[in-house]
Amino acid sequence: MSKKKKVIPIVIFFVILIAIIVGIILLGKPAPRAESLSETMRDAVLHESMKVSLFGLKDVNPGLISAFAVTAILGVFAIICRIFVIPRFKEIPGKFQLVLESVVGIFRGMAKGNSPEKNKVLSAYIFTAGAYIFVGTLFELFGFQAVSTSGASIPLPAPLADINGAIAMGCGSYLFILIGGIANNGFHGLLGTIKEFSLPLSMSFRLFGALLSGALVTELVYYSMYLSFVLPVIVGVLFTLLHALIQAYVLTLLVSIFYGEVSEKKLEKGKRKKKNKEKNNINTNTMTPEVSK
Amino acid sequence: MNVPLNIDWQQILLHLLNFCILFGILYFFLYKPVKDFMEKREASYKKQHEDAESALKEAEQKRNEYEEKLAGAEAEIAAMKSEAGAKNAEERARMMEQTKTEAAAILESAKKRGEMEHDKIIAEAQREIADIVTTATEKIVLSADVSKSYDEFLKSAEGNVKNE
Repeated sequence: MSKKKKVIPIVIFFVILIAIIVGIILLGKPAPRAESLSETMRDAVLHESMKVSLFGLKDVNPGLISAFAVTAILGVFAIICRIFVIPRFKEIPGKFQLVLESVVGIFRGMAKGNSPEKNKVLSAYIFTAGAYIFVGTLFELFGFQAVSTSGASIPLPAPLADINGAIAMGCGSYLFILIGGIANNGFHGLLGTIKEFSLPLSMSFRLFGALLSGALVTELVYYSMYLSFVLPVIVGVLFTLLHALIQAYVLTLLVSIFYGEVSEKKLEKGKRKKKNKEKNNINTNTMTPEVSK
Repeated sequence: MNVPLNIDWQQILLHLLNFCILFGILYFFLYKPVKDFMEKREASYKKQHEDAESALKEAEQKRNEYEEKLAGAEAEIAAMKSEAGAKNAEERARMMEQTKTEAAAILESAKKRGEMEHDKIIAEAQREIADIVTTATEKIVLSADVSKSYDEFLKSAEGNVKNE
């Protein structure tokens, strides 16, 4: 009896649910769309029609607005942390302090591991880049709305799904590596960075491609109402959460690896030979007693 | 200029500007304070560790010193003991010698005294014998009876002996 009693309400609940869904599908007239699917897809890549006015100064891609929003969010978060949390830091960290410390620690460790000689600025840079990419990608999930110049409401995309944002990020990182190379290694650093001339292109388009593909698939899924049950959970998680982590990790890792390579002090030939000789001497010295034994 | 993919240089610069602002804010408000705090804590732990290490080293050194001192003290004690033993034996030997000489002296004096006594007794006895002899001879002379007087002499001598 009791089992049946428990099962009945659940069955009723699901029947009602299914009935509602069927009703939606059968009765609902799709709202008139601002653009067709192909237009939406095309616009997600090119941003030709759906522009947002930047304080009336210029019509920009929604990605730029997202970028400003992300900066605002992170800035407010940082200032709140600085005022309310960091002065109360304790020797034995609490939960939130532990989170902050481990994030800083991860990026410091990455910078130290990949660029053992110079890593002070690098760790700050990859910390910022990582936070920006991660939060920027998650930003897409919240679906903040902006009003386009044509009057339609559009959800703000991830800043890096905009090609301008991705290029800025990639070229900015390349520039950072270049400056680091010149500052730490002079002419050698400059040459070392120029040698990797494809880096800005690859970094920009990696970001752009990865995030845009996520955005496109999400857009595609959301465009059709029949696909907007349950599936968005999986799609959202896959293309947003995972991307956020993976892209943040990949870019910061790449930057730190190249920075480390470029800023590494090159030993002069004579010195290197001397060092090798010393090494050999040490080896033979350590070997001889064993042999004589 | 018509750039493919609608790339807009101005917007790229705007993105860069945005990122630079973000870098500044995050660096000064979040990254640097947290990093400074972590470094400070690391330094304090390092210092604690070093202090502990140096204290340990000092303690070890002191222990070694004390152990050395202890070993020295043991040797000293052993030396003192042997010295004391030697002194003791000497003292004992000296005392033995002294007692021996004292005993010899006592014995000597005792001997002397004994001899003196002996001489005295003999002298007395001689004197008594002389007395007896004189009295006996007197009696013999007076009585003129030889046998009788001989007997009397014997008797008196006997009595003397008994008296003694």
